[in-house]
Amino acid sequence: MAAYIARRLLATIPVMAIVGIFVFMLLHLTPGDPAAIIAGDNATEQNIAAIRARLGLDRPLHEQFASWVWNTVRGDLGISMFSNMPVTKLVLQRAEPTIALTITTLIVAVTIAITVGVLAAWKVGTLLDRAVMGFAVMGFSVPVFVVGYLLVYVFSMKLKWLPVQGYVSIDQGLWPCLRNLILPSVALGLAYVALIARITRASMLEVLAEDYIRTANAKGVATSNVLLRHALKNAAVPIVTVIGIGVALLISGVVITESVFNIPGVGRLVVDAIARRDYPIIQGVMIIFSGVYVLVNLAVDLVYTFLDPRIRY
Amino acid sequence: MTTAIIAADCPAPAIADRLRIFARRNPTIAIGGTLLALVSLAAAAAPLIAGDPIVFMPINRLKPPSDEFLLGTDSLGRDVFARTIYGARISLLVGLTVALFAVAIGLGIGLASGYYRRVDAVVMRLMDGIMAIPAILLAIALVSVMGSSVRVVIVAIAIPEIPRVARLVRSVVLSVRELPYVDAARASGSKVRKILLRHILPSTIPPLIVQATYICASAILVEAGLSFLGAGTPPEFPTWGNMIAQSRLYLAIAPWTIFAPGACLALVVLSINLLGDGLRDRLDPRLARRM
Amino acid sequence: MSKITRRTVIQGALATGTAAAIPTGIAVHSRPARAQAAKQVRMVPHGDLRVLDPIWTTANMSAYHGAMIYDTLFGYDGDLNPQPQMVGKHGVSDDKKTYTFELRDGLKWHDGTDVTARDCVASLRRWIARDGGGQHMMQRVTDIAASDAKTIKIVLKEPYGLIYEVLAKTSTPLCFMMKEEVAATDPNQQITKHIGSGPFKFVEGEYRPGSRVVYERNAAYVPRSEPASGIAGGKVVKLDRVIWDIMPDAQTAAAALMNGEIEFFEVPPIDIIGALEAAPGVKIEVLNKLGNVGYCRLNHLHAPFNNLKARQAAQLAVSQDDFLRAAVGNPKFYQTCGSNFTCGSPMGVEDGSDMLKLPMAQRQARARELVKESGYDGKPLTVLHATDIHVMNQAAQVIAQNLRQVGFNVQLASSDWGGVVTRRSNKNPPDQGGWNVFFTWGGGNATASPINLFGHAATGQNAWFGWPQNDLHETLRNEWAAAANLEARREITRRMNKNMFDYVHDIKTGQWVAPVAYRADRMKGMLAVPEVVPWWNVERV
Repeated sequence: MAAYIARRLLATIPVMAIVGIFVFMLLHLTPGDPAAIIAGDNATEQNIAAIRARLGLDRPLHEQFASWVWNTVRGDLGISMFSNMPVTKLVLQRAEPTIALTITTLIVAVTIAITVGVLAAWKVGTLLDRAVMGFAVMGFSVPVFVVGYLLVYVFSMKLKWLPVQGYVSIDQGLWPCLRNLILPSVALGLAYVALIARITRASMLEVLAEDYIRTANAKGVATSNVLLRHALKNAAVPIVTVIGIGVALLISGVVITESVFNIPGVGRLVVDAIARRDYPIIQGVMIIFSGVYVLVNLAVDLVYTFLDPRIRY
Repeated sequence: MTTAIIAADCPAPAIADRLRIFARRNPTIAIGGTLLALVSLAAAAAPLIAGDPIVFMPINRLKPPSDEFLLGTDSLGRDVFARTIYGARISLLVGLTVALFAVAIGLGIGLASGYYRRVDAVVMRLMDGIMAIPAILLAIALVSVMGSSVRVVIVAIAIPEIPRVARLVRSVVLSVRELPYVDAARASGSKVRKILLRHILPSTIPPLIVQATYICASAILVEAGLSFLGAGTPPEFPTWGNMIAQSRLYLAIAPWTIFAPGACLALVVLSINLLGDGLRDRLDPRLARRM
Repeated sequence: MSKITRRTVIQGALATGTAAAIPTGIAVHSRPARAQAAKQVRMVPHGDLRVLDPIWTTANMSAYHGAMIYDTLFGYDGDLNPQPQMVGKHGVSDDKKTYTFELRDGLKWHDGTDVTARDCVASLRRWIARDGGGQHMMQRVTDIAASDAKTIKIVLKEPYGLIYEVLAKTSTPLCFMMKEEVAATDPNQQITKHIGSGPFKFVEGEYRPGSRVVYERNAAYVPRSEPASGIAGGKVVKLDRVIWDIMPDAQTAAAALMNGEIEFFEVPPIDIIGALEAAPGVKIEVLNKLGNVGYCRLNHLHAPFNNLKARQAAQLAVSQDDFLRAAVGNPKFYQTCGSNFTCGSPMGVEDGSDMLKLPMAQRQARARELVKESGYDGKPLTVLHATDIHVMNQAAQVIAQNLRQVGFNVQLASSDWGGVVTRRSNKNPPDQGGWNVFFTWGGGNATASPINLFGHAATGQNAWFGWPQNDLHETLRNEWAAAANLEARREITRRMNKNMFDYVHDIKTGQWVAPVAYRADRMKGMLAVPEVVPWWNVERV
């Protein structure tokens, strides 16, 4: 097991290297001059050239790349070209809201999705099943920001139940923090719920058709017991896989949700940075997001062994 | 005269019946397909039924629906009806080309990497790398650095989809290449290219068609998201996504600017998803059970 | 002046004593209980505060930041007259060549040290290195020096009528005073310490670029005794904290204001002003009466706009009405204007702009002839189009349509504003990464000065993007600066304005004001100042 984990961790190195090369090339080989943007509206060409030199943008590309890789490997993501603050610090300042939003969404979405997925599979063919599946298709047929605006319109503007925007740190109490996260989580989680509910239903249906389930039912094991202990556990592998892959969906959704609900997270940091061509931030955040994605999916692979003893490494 | 009528009438109920039976057995394909067909028809007939979607008169801005402007006008005084109809063209174009582009390239990569071991290691790491980069960030970055045009947006949305297609194709190839008939072909000295094209490619088609519909639906949504972030298709050319994104300010004061494109977008994405579900059930029972 | 209660003493101790000792994370998070008790205002400004050096950059957000924590020697009052601010007694020698400024009593930096004349001299020098108006003044200066701890002397070669105006201006960069050690920073580098002597203090531990900026009251600030007006007069602070919430989405900010989650929204989109006005407690007000001026810049280096006739055609074709309707919408907030120097300002003369009053059809007919006479070859024009900023987005589309209507072929090059900023500095022909037309806008206050605004220069390759060249214009600008009084300057401006229309310096697309929206049921006392949003004088209701 340890050897397997080590091997898998090593295998992430080439993946991250590719991410690094790709992101760096994407930014540096195409037009877009952060110096011109930093210099502002009244800048002369000399101003812009001076800034370019100060940022090291006039050095040969391979030199820039080498120093970036060397620093990144040492954990130094560089200095933001605009705010002159270390990227690591900027990301850490913004990490809490993003993590809180993602985890809340993850917990809520997975709980709801698995519940309705199991119910739909159990009551397959009924109105409940159709409603769940109908909702699931609609769940990924509407843009996230439209869902966000509609939620704000109904629950904040009309009913005045929840705040329109903003983030309150968890230090200030669980409820104030959650209050601000409810609407964004719903907007962000909708597609995710739909995705997981579908896969849960499908893989439950497959398992429920197996002989041992029929045996358990015949033996008179309580329905809830059959569904949860026997069926769900055996249906778990594809569900966990989709939860892992879906993290990519969440990360993309976070970027938009943070803008709609004014949550000062990492997603907004990087969107602003792209608009300004703040290379160190874009590169740093892309690397971090990709790293998270790779690690989550590594974790998912490891979870398999617990879920399904037949899988061995 | 009578024979002609009979001859013309006779097969018609048969086709209608068959359609009815098909629709009853495959309700999702029927609903999705019909809606899509209607929208495609409207898109194709755009010049006949709608006015100019680009020309605007600021004096007419934000006018509610009327006889002159069936669905009102937007913030530049452009005809929302015309833009919605023409928007169908570009939105569908974006969806379809993204799907085609991603599937074509993903298929090539998947075939190659599933068949040639040496290619596999390198190419799949590359695919893993691209897949690890958040799709929307990659797309915004691409649009920001390359400038916004329909072509750039299509490429930007398609690139992150390629690895998923490649992996799907690769897994099919891996499972097919060891099958007896492929072995037989290899033993009888067939060229590799021939084996790939004649014996392996066909097995990848059904899951690919299903995948393509999902990519198409998601591309239309991603385009809307990009427009929201200011990195979508150029606002001059209407897509439903950029119409919604551009008009979001007017949700409260001029809801008609959002309603039509919003409804069309949701409906079409829904139809494509339904169609995808239906096709999956018919074409790929194995995948159907898994999804 | 302010009662010292037990709470403020404790807060003071918390802020100064312990904050330094405990990690910032804790310092930030221990704030809330106090924040609710404190008198604070949450506001959404028009943009993000990215650069904390208001001398180094001309960004308006940085000037807002500067006005919070720094003070100025002089400042314009509400009627645009320069008044002393940090300066107490001041005078000019009889030969009009020596100016003496004496700092008033009680001025202290936020670290508790006294403000000295040496600090101010260093600040003036750094500012002059960055400011067009300052440089113009500097050409006539022989010496700037501190003659004692409180006295600054400026000695000139020849009399110069604009000293007070330049030092008091509210267009960016404002002449803010900083500590000598900070002002010693290379003018081409950004400062790293943010110690001012102004009415508010910058709370560095809570600064989150792209998201939030926090200021707290400077209890040691001694305001002037005159009533507040413009950036002159007594800057009496009646709030404990001012929080800037950077919100990228206008729809979200508007909803937050209506829901009472913020108190002030600087640039609500004009189209939804009606909805905001209808919300209980919300008030709409125009603070910056000079507003904004739209600029359509033509590239004078390349065909077709290196040709005068083509430029004149474009000038006839671009309709201020179309632009203003599309980009601003509500006629209450915009006006067409035939001045290159902001209608409503002292220099807002409209000589030479008669053609703007002709009916559009007639203008277009004449423009079509001019396009033909110019020998335009039908090659598509590249119009840069920023899609992420509402006004820019609408403007480029209007300009494209207007130009098409008179026979130009037009291609919109769409990107975000960052892309436009990068591309507009490219002097190559349009098909090699350059451009023909781009749109931007500037503050009406900055535009009002022929000298201060870089965009008014017509020095060819050295001018602002578009690179217009006209010798007569440059001669007139120098005469303007040397003129003895306002009347004389206005006369010169008349000739300048006419000439600018003749050679088509650029195309002004009209003028609009950006009203602010705020919760009148929670705060009052906003001062009307062009290009600065001041938070002194404001109080909670």
